Amino acid sequence: MFWESSIPNAIAGGESRAAVEPMDNDEFAGFYERSARPLWAYLARTSGDPALADDLMQESFVRFLCAPRSPSQASEGEVACRRYLFRIATNLLRDHWRRPRAFSIEETPENFFARPGDSALSDSQMMLGPAMAQMRPRDRQLLWLAHAEGYSHSEIAEVTGLGSASIRLLLFRARRKMARLLGNQERGRTL
Amino acid sequence: MMPGTCPREKEVKQLLERGQWPQACASELRGHVGGCRSCGDLVLVTTAFRRARAEASAGVNLPPPGVLWWRAQLRRRNAAVERIGRPILGAQIFALCVMLLVAAGFVGLELRNGIGLLDRLGALPQTAARTLFDHWHSALLDTTWSPMVLIPAAATVALLGGVVVYLAVEKQ
Repeated sequence: MFWESSIPNAIAGGESRAAVEPMDNDEFAGFYERSARPLWAYLARTSGDPALADDLMQESFVRFLCAPRSPSQASEGEVACRRYLFRIATNLLRDHWRRPRAFSIEETPENFFARPGDSALSDSQMMLGPAMAQMRPRDRQLLWLAHAEGYSHSEIAEVTGLGSASIRLLLFRARRKMARLLGNQERGRTL
Repeated sequence: MMPGTCPREKEVKQLLERGQWPQACASELRGHVGGCRSCGDLVLVTTAFRRARAEASAGVNLPPPGVLWWRAQLRRRNAAVERIGRPILGAQIFALCVMLLVAAGFVGLELRNGIGLLDRLGALPQTAARTLFDHWHSALLDTTWSPMVLIPAAATVALLGGVVVYLAVEKQ
């Protein structure tokens, strides 16, 4: 049909393409190589679910490429692109947590019920995992962005959509709680 | 300043970000961190998170970027199809509404004039095609029926005109 044949032109046509796509295929491949692993780590450690992290990471990149207001790597730089990507991932995580948890047992993967042995867990997982599980989801995100990614308060505000002033206080409290939990675990392991 | 924060926290944070903690820092600062709760918390939490980030990043199997690129292209194409199809759907709904309106008007008119339609329908099997043709012919010539013919005709022309203009603009 007429409109279907006109779509490739609408998508791939010269100026409109540059206006919509934040980067070309090769630029994206490079950006993906540099950003995918930190993004996956963020999603996996804040959600505690590697399978969910796989899905959300892929969805974040696809949405990044499709979003009409994605920052362009050429004009705004990779840092802005990465921040925008983390923002998408943060929103996806938040949507996941808000969704009512109604899943059938048939859909649950087999390894969901199998508790991994200590040998399967890395040192950092054994130390950070239980402490992270006791934190609120938003605090996990704030702590990861601040201490693993090294984002400033204003950058975290941009990623999470929270006010910069409130992040300072929230982060202070979350860090204090996390330090207490980590300290307790360390003392427990040495005893 | 936040209650419980330390003025030397920034210094410690910079060392942690550069990966210079604890080897490349003064023993005096190490001593301070040992005694200061705020700086101690910062070191403990940042070290744990940095280690977790490095380990998690190293152990992940990533899908090839081409797959995601292709998925994004497909999604954008579908979005474009949907965007283009939306006015057409609107036009279809509008046409349906006009037809329903005309049908309601027709039924209303028939009810007001008595049950002439039912009589005509009852006579239909007996007289077959000839009677149907007569009804249609008389309906077209009847002046009371002319708005019933004119309204849908005008609506159809307007609708088709809108679609043609829209497609022409889209093509440009």
